[in-house]
Amino acid sequence: MTDTKTSETAPKKGKWTRRAFIGAGVVAGGALVIGVAVRPDNPVERLSPMVARGKGEQLINAWVKVDADNIVTAIIPHVEMGQGVFTSLAQMLADELDADWSKVRILEAPADAKYVSHDIGREFLAPNLEVPAILEPTVGGTFLQLATAMNLQITGGSFSVRGTGQRAMRVAGAAAKEMLIAAAAEEWNVPAGELRAENSMILHDKSSKSAPFADFAAAAAEQGLPNKPKLKSPKDYKLMGKAMARHDIPEKSNGTALFGIDADLPGMKYAAVKAAPVVGATVESMNVDTAKSMPGVLQILNMGDFIAVVADGYWQAQQALGTIDAKYSKTEGDTLNQDALFARYASVLDEAGDEGGDVETEQGDVTEAFANAATKVEAEYKVPFLAHATMEPMNCTAWVRDGKCDVWSGHQAPLMARKAAADTLGIDTDDVTYHNAYLGGGFGRRSENDAIIMATRIAKATQYPVKMIWSREEDTMQDHYRPSATSRFQAGLDKDGNAVSWSNIHTHLFDPQEAPTVPYYNIANHKIRKIDVPTHLRFGPWRSVDHSQHGYFIESFVDELAHAAGKDGYAYRRELLAGSKRHLAVLDKAAEMSGWDKPLPEGHGRGIAFVPSFGTIVAEVAEVDMTGAKPKVKKIYVAADPGFAVNPDGFAAQMESSIAYGLTATLYGEISVKNGAVQQSNFHDYPILRINEMPEVEVGIINGDHKRLGGAGEPGLPPLAPAVTNAIFAATGKRVRELPLSKVDFA
Amino acid sequence: MTVLFRAFAPILVVTLAACGSDPAPGPTEQIVVRESGTEAPDSDATSPAAETNDSLIAAGKAAFNTCIACHVVEKGGANRVGPNLYGIVGQAAASVEGFNYSDALTSSGITWTKEELDSYIANPAARVPGTTMMAGAITDTGRREAIIAYIEDASAN
Repeated sequence: MTDTKTSETAPKKGKWTRRAFIGAGVVAGGALVIGVAVRPDNPVERLSPMVARGKGEQLINAWVKVDADNIVTAIIPHVEMGQGVFTSLAQMLADELDADWSKVRILEAPADAKYVSHDIGREFLAPNLEVPAILEPTVGGTFLQLATAMNLQITGGSFSVRGTGQRAMRVAGAAAKEMLIAAAAEEWNVPAGELRAENSMILHDKSSKSAPFADFAAAAAEQGLPNKPKLKSPKDYKLMGKAMARHDIPEKSNGTALFGIDADLPGMKYAAVKAAPVVGATVESMNVDTAKSMPGVLQILNMGDFIAVVADGYWQAQQALGTIDAKYSKTEGDTLNQDALFARYASVLDEAGDEGGDVETEQGDVTEAFANAATKVEAEYKVPFLAHATMEPMNCTAWVRDGKCDVWSGHQAPLMARKAAADTLGIDTDDVTYHNAYLGGGFGRRSENDAIIMATRIAKATQYPVKMIWSREEDTMQDHYRPSATSRFQAGLDKDGNAVSWSNIHTHLFDPQEAPTVPYYNIANHKIRKIDVPTHLRFGPWRSVDHSQHGYFIESFVDELAHAAGKDGYAYRRELLAGSKRHLAVLDKAAEMSGWDKPLPEGHGRGIAFVPSFGTIVAEVAEVDMTGAKPKVKKIYVAADPGFAVNPDGFAAQMESSIAYGLTATLYGEISVKNGAVQQSNFHDYPILRINEMPEVEVGIINGDHKRLGGAGEPGLPPLAPAVTNAIFAATGKRVRELPLSKVDFA
Repeated sequence: MTVLFRAFAPILVVTLAACGSDPAPGPTEQIVVRESGTEAPDSDATSPAAETNDSLIAAGKAAFNTCIACHVVEKGGANRVGPNLYGIVGQAAASVEGFNYSDALTSSGITWTKEELDSYIANPAARVPGTTMMAGAITDTGRREAIIAYIEDASAN
C-alpha cells in the first residue's frame, strides 16, 4: 500500500463527459462506491463509470469510493463557492466511516440527476413533513423523484451541511463502514459484531487482525445497503466539531484552483456582450462600422436582447463592443425612476390601508389591541435594490456541434444549468455535458441561468467553442437584484412598555416565507401582510434573501419599541424572548461578549440585533464610532447557535464573511434606476467594503442541539445592518430608517 | 456555507416554464468578419500610435495601458474605479467631480504639478498614506514621464 501524505488533498473537479457516462460499465480494478441508504438500491454499477474510473477504484455507494491505496473519496453533491462546504461535508462522511482524514479526497458529484440534493426538494415540497427521526435514512425516496424532475442539484439556502450533510453524507459514511465490516466478517469468518473501523482500517481486536478498507472494498459493494446505518453520537465524533483545514485552500493560495472563468479549450474564442440597458428592450439597430475593422474581431451578433462581439481575445472583443452604437426598442420600463418607484410603493401601501394586501400571518386582534394601547409606535423603513458583485464576473463557455453541447461554468445548480442549455438549443439534456468548476462567489447570483443561456446561444451561432465573459459593468447593470422594498410597522405598548400588538405591511415577498415574521417574540397580537409591486427589473436571491431586508426592518422597529418603552435594547429583547431558552442563551452570549454594560467613549454607541434564520439563531452587537464625518464600525460580536458547528472555523468564517458582505450593503449598497436602466456600473459607484473598513469580529458558537443543525452561509447577515443602525442611534439619537448609510447626513 | 438561498419558488417557475418551450432565438443579425482559424490582419500597421510624431506621447499612450483598467483621459468621460484624468495636470488633488476620494487624498493639499504626479505614481501609498489607489506604482522614471506627457496631450484634445 502506498503511503499517502496529506498533500495532494485538493478536490478534483469532475469532468464528466458523455462518453464516460455511456462508456462500458467495466471498471478497471473495480471500485467500492456507496449509495446513500435513502436510495432504494445500490447504484454502484450505474454510477461507477461516471465517478470511479480510476485504476483500482471501488465505489461502495453513491457517495464513497475507496482505491487500492486506501484513499477514501467523498463524492459531494454540492458546489464550492468559497463557503468551505467540500470540507465540512467530507468531515461528516469520513467521521461516520472512521476514515483516516489524511487519506480523504473530495470529488464534486457530476451534473447528473442521480446526485440531486433531494433534501432541498423535500423541504420545498413538503416543509411540514414529519420526519420521526431526523436522520431516518429511508425517508426521501418519493422526494428524490420529484427533486430529480425539478432539476434540483442546488447549493443554497444555507442547506448543504444541515440537509445533505446530516441526511446523506453521514448516512453514506456509516453505511459504507457497515458494508466494509460485513465484507471483512465474511472474509475472516468472524461475527461482524467483533469488528470495528479506525483510521481507514478494519480491526479484529480478538485476533489482532487488521487490514485496510481497500482489501474489502469490492466485496463491500456487493453487500446490501443497510436499512438504518447506526450513526455516532456526539461523544464519539472524531472529525465533526473540529476545525479541520479546508481542502481547497492550498490550490486557492497557489493559484492552481480552476474557476468557471478559467475554462480553456483548443480553438476557443472570446465573446464580450452588452445587453439592452433596460431589461425587456431589444436591439433595433447597431452601427458596427468601427468594430468590423478592429483587430481580432471574428463575428458581431445582434441576439435581439443583447449584442455579442466574438474575437480572438477577450480584450479585442470588449474593445470592439465598446465602439458599437446601438439603438434599442422602447419599453414600458423606460420611464421608471427610483424616486417614482418608492412613491409607487408608498401609494400602494396607502391604498392597502388596514385591511388590504395578502395576510401572511395573523394572531389575535391587532386592531383592538392597538386601539387600546397606552403607547403607539409607527415607523416606515426603506431599502434599495442590491447587486451581488461576485468577485468572478459572470461567465460561461459553450461549444455546440453535431447536435450536442458542452458547457463550462460555475453554477449553484449544475443540473439546472444543463437543462437551461438543453432547452436553449431544443435538444435532450442527455446531449448536454455540463462541466462545473469552482465559483468565484455565488451569493445567489449563480443560481440564475441567464449567462448559461446567452453563452449557449452565441456558441450555437458560431459553432466553435466560445468563452463569454461579462464586463464588470454588465455584471452590475444586468444582475437579478435583491428587491428594493418599503415596510411599515405599527405597534402598541401597554403601560409597562410591553408590546401588545405588532402590525406590518411590506412590499414584496420572495423567500423564505418566514422572513417577515417574529414568532419567537412574545407578542400576543400580530398581523403581517405583503403587497407585490412588480417592476421590469429582475429579482433574484441575494445572500439571506428576504431576511436581508426584514432583519433590518424588524430589529430596527424592536429597537424603537424599546426606546418608546424607556428600556435598553438588550433588556427589552430579553423580555420578548422570555421562556425561549436557546434564543435567550444566544442573546445573552452576544451581550456578555460585548461587555454590554460597560461604558464606551463619547460619541461611540453599541447596538444589538437578533435574527434566527436558516435554522441558526444569531445575535450581533455592533460598536460604532460616530465622532467622524462617517460612521466607523469598530467591532462586531456574533453569538450563534447552529445546533452543532461541524467545522467551527468554517462556521466562524461564514459569520465573518456575512459581516463583510452585509456591511458593504449597510454602508454603500444601492442600485437605483433611472429611465428604466440601472445607474451604477462598477466599483466606483457600487463600492465594496475595503479592508481598512472591516471591523474586528469576534464569534461565539453555542452547540445547542446536535440533532437539528442550522445553516452557516446566510444567518450571520440579517442582524448586521440593524445592529449597526441601532448603535448609531445609541451614539447620536438619530434613527436610520433608510439604507444605505452613505445616503444619510450625519453632520 | 454559503450562500444563498432558498428561493425555490422562482426557480421552479423558471424550470417548468422552460419545459417544452421552443429553443431560444438565434441572432437577428450575424456579421461574420472572419472565419475562425484564418489569420488576423496585421493590426500594428494601423495603430494610431504609429501616426504620431511625438515618440514620448506614443510611449506614454502605450504605457498608459497599465492605467486604463481604472482610468480614462477623456473630456466628460466617466469616472471608473479611479477618476477621469482629463486635465489632471495642474489641478488640485481630489477635485474630479463625482469621484469618491479617500480621506487621505482629500486632505493631502496636493496640487498635481508634473513633479507631484511623478512622485505620486512612483509609489501612491508612500506619497499619500491611506490612498485607495492600490495599483499604479510605476518604478521606471522614463515611463512615468511618458505617461504624464500622454495625459497632458490627451487633455489638450
